[in-house]
Amino acid sequence: MSRRAIVHVDMDAFYASVEQRDDPALRGRPVAVGGREGRGVVAAASYEARAFGVRSAMPAHEALRRCPELRFVRPRFDVYREVSGQIRTIFRRFTLLVEPLSLDEAYLDVTRPMDGPADPVALARLIKELILAETGLTASAGVSFNKFLAKTASGMNKPDGLTVIAEADVAPLLARLAVEEFHGVGPRTAEKLRAVGIASGADLRATSEAWLVRRFGRHGAWLARIAQGLDDRPVEPDRPRRSVSVEQTFPRDLVDPAALLAELRALTENLNRRLASTGFRGRSVVLKIRTADFVTRTRTTTPRPFPQDVENMWKIAAGLLERPKLPRDPVRLLGLGVSDGGDDADPRQLDLFGRSRPDSPQG
Amino acid sequence: MKLTIERAPLLKSLGYVQSVVERRTTIPILSNVRLEARDGELLLTATDMDLTLVSREAAEISEPGTTTVAAHTLYEIVRRLAEGAIVELEQPNGSADLNLRSGRSSFVLPSLPADEFPAMNEEDLGVSFELSAQVLRKLLDKTRFAMSSEETRYYLNGVHLHATRGDGAAATLRAVATDGHRLARVETPLPEGAKGIPPVIVPKKTVGEARRLLEALDQDAAVGIALSPSRIRFQIGTTVLVSRLIDGVFPDYERVIPHANDKAALVDAKAFAVAIDRVSTVATDKVRAVKLGFSEGRVLASAVSAEAGRAQDEVDCELSGGEIEIGFNARYVLDITQQVEGNQIRLEMASPASPTLIRDPEDVATIYVLMPMRV
Repeated sequence: MSRRAIVHVDMDAFYASVEQRDDPALRGRPVAVGGREGRGVVAAASYEARAFGVRSAMPAHEALRRCPELRFVRPRFDVYREVSGQIRTIFRRFTLLVEPLSLDEAYLDVTRPMDGPADPVALARLIKELILAETGLTASAGVSFNKFLAKTASGMNKPDGLTVIAEADVAPLLARLAVEEFHGVGPRTAEKLRAVGIASGADLRATSEAWLVRRFGRHGAWLARIAQGLDDRPVEPDRPRRSVSVEQTFPRDLVDPAALLAELRALTENLNRRLASTGFRGRSVVLKIRTADFVTRTRTTTPRPFPQDVENMWKIAAGLLERPKLPRDPVRLLGLGVSDGGDDADPRQLDLFGRSRPDSPQG
Repeated sequence: MKLTIERAPLLKSLGYVQSVVERRTTIPILSNVRLEARDGELLLTATDMDLTLVSREAAEISEPGTTTVAAHTLYEIVRRLAEGAIVELEQPNGSADLNLRSGRSSFVLPSLPADEFPAMNEEDLGVSFELSAQVLRKLLDKTRFAMSSEETRYYLNGVHLHATRGDGAAATLRAVATDGHRLARVETPLPEGAKGIPPVIVPKKTVGEARRLLEALDQDAAVGIALSPSRIRFQIGTTVLVSRLIDGVFPDYERVIPHANDKAALVDAKAFAVAIDRVSTVATDKVRAVKLGFSEGRVLASAVSAEAGRAQDEVDCELSGGEIEIGFNARYVLDITQQVEGNQIRLEMASPASPTLIRDPEDVATIYVLMPMRV
């Protein structure tokens, strides 16, 4: 494959920055987007809040403990989706090969841009400037020759960064990274790697692919490739999402209904964040239950109206777990997802309200 | 309770009632119609908990009272009675059965106590105004075809009513519906009293029921409408329809209405519709896509499918702003041509991928927006 030019654009503290943009009283102050009461969690934190150790997905009470003056703001997903649309419009001036990962980040293949400078670094700079001019928000961009490296680059100088990883930089740069810093290495994988003394990119690169595959299966092969900065995944524009789901394998099989419900609650919150960040709208809720005997069952319901918030989703999810009856065998894994239930929309029919479905802002 | 009533008015009201009653309901009393005999009239009430209909008919009341019986059964019985028949309804005190007698026929229907029937919320709805039956009919007819049935987009499953800002004659009452592919917007001068109305979304079923009730009304008859953010009430003739509104926010539709589409084509509505319908016969997909090539003096309609072959047809057009080739779902175009009052329609286009504005030169109060298909 000929050499590609890939840009990864990631908005800086997106939700929080939008709120600070729209309310001057929030500027320069620690801001968390999310619900503060009860089970509320931080959906996004401003850089000022991050300085206190406030992170996304942190429970509200923990965030307030770390930063008592933290200001909580209710999320306005309709606004985020609108800004996200503006940003995508900017991308599409230069390339149609845009792969949005969520509302606030996207990969762009700018190997052959339709407009603007041919140099990908100059183009990335121009895109950042246009985003700032048209939305008042800053973005960080990473430029390299594959998706993995572009994404790694965009995370290196946040906020408002522009980072290039050239071929000569790859080996020394990846060698210095801690295993957790590799995109696609989750906390559990990192833990397992560290347990056998693999702590850095250099360690990972020195590990044989055969060993990684034995230990991690297909994911192991992927680890061996990214350790060398190799990634030939194409930028896939507008892949229509059919479902969004989250799942959790438990360290020990669970039998206690209370423990199962607690895990399911956590999954529900997780799923809602994923739904919000992807903007995905579905029709069916699917609960996946894998028991200790490795048999996987799914339970599906198509609720109407479709749950629009965590509490209503939780009622549906808990209902799926409890009815017709709680699993009797020990549970190894729970998964919760939303699928579109076979929308038969013709992809050729364009939508008045943009690619995404028209959204009803939640009042 | 005891009363006599003519078959015709009873059948008419039961017809309204039975379309409100859900056929598959898990709450038995919701299958029933509530009958209330009082002061020279019979009140018939049906509800599905979201929509409540109260119809009234003159009747000879010998003993006032209230009961509920299965709506569909009662409707089917009355439908089968002879034309011009007189119907007697009687439920003796303490009895759980309603007796229906007409001529030599008699029926005994089990009832459920009326106090278990969900009471209609009689709260004050805040704003009220009147529209003529003709105007309300137009607001609903010209928009309802564009409502969405997609349940995930529940806030599009109805007709959006709102008042525009503006003073005096400039202010309008608007009805809007869209399914995300097409949109219809009709406006009428803001009626007196409607200035403060909240923006609402009237559910599909309510739109259908209101439209059915309007059928029986003279075009100049006044329809009373009262509104709160959560409920709407229509007084149509002697029938009252109270409905919950869709709890959602209608999308900002203004931003999808194009204002500067530079390519305008004027075509004969009927000929255009016939040509599109004709060529779309070869489009075998569920969605029948047609391609329209507009050039000076003519528009070429064509459709292609791998299995069923190719088709093309041509109609005259007056074009300004340059040639364009654009694809549409044939059904969507035909839905719009059916609404047109005059002989012509005007299509205002910008590009094959952006919204097209469709106007009826005879009806400036209505616009349609149609999103193209990639063909």
